[in-house]
Amino acid sequence: MSLFSKFDAAAALESTLSSMPVNPTSIVISKVVSASEAIVNGRSTIMAGTNNYLGLTFDADCISAGQAALAETGTGTTGSRMANGTYKEHLQLEDELAVFFDLPHAMVFSTGYSANLGILTALLDADDSVLLDSEGHASLYDGCRMSGAKIYRFKHNDPEGLAKRLSRLGEKAKDALIVVEGLYSVRGDCAPLKEFVDVKAQYGGILLVDEAHSLGLYGENGRGLVEEYELKDDVDFIVGTFSKSLGSIGGFCVSKHPQLKLVRYASRPYIFTASPSPSVIATTREALKKVQHGQGLREKVWHNAKHLYKAFAELGLDIGPTVSPVIGVSFQDREKAFSCWQDLLSLGIYTNLILPPAAPDGGSLIRCSVTAAHSETQVDSIISAFKKVCKERNVGRLN
Amino acid sequence: MDKNAVVEKLIKLLEGSLGKSLVLSKDSTLLGDAGLESIQVIEYLCEVEDAFDVVVDEESLSHVSTFGDLASVVERISSE
Ligand SMILES: Cc1ncc(COP(=O)(O)O)c(C=O)c1O
Repeated sequence: MSLFSKFDAAAALESTLSSMPVNPTSIVISKVVSASEAIVNGRSTIMAGTNNYLGLTFDADCISAGQAALAETGTGTTGSRMANGTYKEHLQLEDELAVFFDLPHAMVFSTGYSANLGILTALLDADDSVLLDSEGHASLYDGCRMSGAKIYRFKHNDPEGLAKRLSRLGEKAKDALIVVEGLYSVRGDCAPLKEFVDVKAQYGGILLVDEAHSLGLYGENGRGLVEEYELKDDVDFIVGTFSKSLGSIGGFCVSKHPQLKLVRYASRPYIFTASPSPSVIATTREALKKVQHGQGLREKVWHNAKHLYKAFAELGLDIGPTVSPVIGVSFQDREKAFSCWQDLLSLGIYTNLILPPAAPDGGSLIRCSVTAAHSETQVDSIISAFKKVCKERNVGRLN
Repeated sequence: MDKNAVVEKLIKLLEGSLGKSLVLSKDSTLLGDAGLESIQVIEYLCEVEDAFDVVVDEESLSHVSTFGDLASVVERISSE
């Protein structure tokens, strides 16, 4: 087998995708008009497939903060904090994150992906066991793999499944790492965190929650699902990203454990990559303030989420039981999912097409998300487009 | 339990969860012959673990491609 023959499968996939009228992996956004609108394939389009939950990408204060940082501090740090120095703004952001989460320790990474690799590889080694939700994000899985720890998967959102596995691990359970998310990004369902915490109390274990999608959306201060359920003292590590509700890029971990400080010395994905650039730090810091005082934004996004969910339920679409700003619409066959997704795009609604193997249950999904930036009219346009497409394609209850 | 019985139980479990009967043997593959997507394999393996009351780590599964391979892993872990 030649070095390049491993690309045969990818080439076949590419050729199938390219033969489709619109290749879902090659969508080009030629102009971003606002946090909720863009020119896609030459057409003005409502963006209903982003993670821009609070709509902060075009926030005037975030933009000014980024511009000022660019002018004052330059375009990039050009290196790692361990080798090339920490900017005072990195430390300020870490302090502000600790205050925001009301936890003593915080650490910033260059992306959410590297935060997960960085924390998991520092926490785990080959002698450890990690229990991972079966629908955990790729970055969580990759971090566990990279650490060499023994990985045990349990069924998605199944505390009983977790309990059984911990009990079978016996003595090892008390030091096992349990890894779950807050809000799941594809179907928009939430982890039963209270139940997971109860399991942890019974069998032991260290609990890590990835709040990538729940930050900004849940809890009085927008800290996430851990805040919503008042579980701060029961969770050991919270990781997350700046790339979704904060509209920036970067990742973080916060914790009550002082060992988090030592992760800097033990985490290759932290040490061997360039630190976040000044403008990124500046927009993130500004956005964090907006989240903290973001009751208005949260009200807006939840209002939109409820409106959309109710309409989808009325259309008889196959959606999960949880109301959230993310709705995954399931389809029996991938051709139908693809045609509906394409029809929606041609009507000026951009959503995310998720086909196997990426879809959680091996099926096909259209992921639709709303944000605080969507106007009532835009949400209504999303709904009428779905209504039209579903009728024409015989999907849902209307048929 | 001998290996054939384990294979039979593994296939029964899959039939139960898919709700249909399948023509599979110890040499059938999970991803190819049984037609499972990789994420469905994870869910199926959780059921296998519960049915045999074992925990199977990912590394042990890395060389599993057929129901026969899976039966060997389950047998090995059960006897540890
Ligand atoms: C649960 C989860 N964790 C981590 C990440 C990685 O974050 P980022 O894309 O900011 O690197 C994502 C999103 O991509 C995610 O959904």
